Amino acid sequence: MTEIAEAGPPPGADRQPAEAAGKPARHIPGQPDMWVLVLFEALVFTAYFAVYLYHRSAYSGLFLRSQASLSPWLGTLDTLLLLTSSMFMLRCVQAARAGAFRSAMANAHLTGAMGAAFLASKITEWFLLVHGGHTFTSNQFFMYYFFLTGIHLLHLLIGFIILGVIIYQLRGPRRRSLELVETCATYWHTVDLLWVLIFSLLYVVR
Amino acid sequence: MRRNNPKRELWFAWYTTVIFYNFYFIVFFPVTHAQPPPHPYWSDALVANWFGHNHHGLIIGFGIIFAVAGLTAPQNALIAYSMRRMSVSRVFAWSYLVLYSVAAIPGLLLLCVALSVGALRPARDPAQLHWLYDFGLLSFTGTMGLFLIGSLVWMLAILLDKNRVLPKWFGYLNLCNALTEVVIAPAWIFHAGVFSWNGLISWWVDIVVFGIYTGAFLTQLRKLIQREDFGDGPLPELTKPHRAGASLAGTAP
Repeated sequence: MTEIAEAGPPPGADRQPAEAAGKPARHIPGQPDMWVLVLFEALVFTAYFAVYLYHRSAYSGLFLRSQASLSPWLGTLDTLLLLTSSMFMLRCVQAARAGAFRSAMANAHLTGAMGAAFLASKITEWFLLVHGGHTFTSNQFFMYYFFLTGIHLLHLLIGFIILGVIIYQLRGPRRRSLELVETCATYWHTVDLLWVLIFSLLYVVR
Repeated sequence: MRRNNPKRELWFAWYTTVIFYNFYFIVFFPVTHAQPPPHPYWSDALVANWFGHNHHGLIIGFGIIFAVAGLTAPQNALIAYSMRRMSVSRVFAWSYLVLYSVAAIPGLLLLCVALSVGALRPARDPAQLHWLYDFGLLSFTGTMGLFLIGSLVWMLAILLDKNRVLPKWFGYLNLCNALTEVVIAPAWIFHAGVFSWNGLISWWVDIVVFGIYTGAFLTQLRKLIQREDFGDGPLPELTKPHRAGASLAGTAP
């Protein structure tokens, strides 16, 4: 685990011996173990998407009509919120790498704020849909819509716990594990990536 | 008193686990045909016919399960042992033990009891047989909360551990497994389609994840036993196996 000191050489400098030898270092951000989760979840979601697309082709008329009930503006807002959250997360990691922990903390909080705004937007959208008579059991399209957005939201809620780990790490001068910060950031970006795919499939693809 | 092979008990628990999963697969898949689950949308007559068609398989298969269901105890104990070996509170191991001991009731025994009753009372009203069929299969597929929390407990212990007892990637794989326990929940609502109890997502995708997870935890527990030094610090990494006959203690069978 890479511990970051309050002062001294840039964090992470000690783990790049290849750079010292004049070669570009190959570095996997965070724990390589986290990439097992990322790849595994990517495979599981690929299976979900494949099943969705299969049924979409089988019931294209129904899916198109149902899709029209979704608000593309809310979907776009959701996407912008999560992309912005990823940008703040990136800045958080960069600041932590540079030893600028105050800035890293601020960016971590901004990431959380964007995530919370996404959560609020998604719940609002669900409320509006249910109020309009579209529920999990209404038809094939809304079954997939509520499932995919729901399972993604669950990932986002786990992301809030992960954000808590980042803030906990950054707050204590004795902790500040850059590896953990990068590991958590990897998870957050995965949640973002999954949303972009879900947004494309549910809102954009015609 | 000095023990000749202090790992013998651990290997006993590990082999018991492997034997149990072999029983489980053989009984639930080819013998009783309870897995993959039959259709949830069948009529009373079709369900009664299913019980009649699988009469002998259900009685023999679940008879075996009733006899060997206790084999889950050494498995749970071995997993709890892995957490006792970690640098985390004993609360994790105890929580896991309690959770998985209770989980055997809805996650294994209720299905066996309900379908055995249906098989042993073929003259009953088909509507009652249908009720047993729904009760058994829904209790089996729909009560995954205990497994969800159990997986999260093990995950948390692995991620907090500093003794390197199990790899961190396996901790994250526990999260993947836990999430599938959520995906199965819509089986309570849908009688057909991808989210029904035999659906493409609720069952087929989940069983693939569970299969990978089971293979991974059996492999990791095996490595844990091979590496175990019975100390309380970091677990040593595996070295090259000793030559045959050099020592019994610490060698994998």
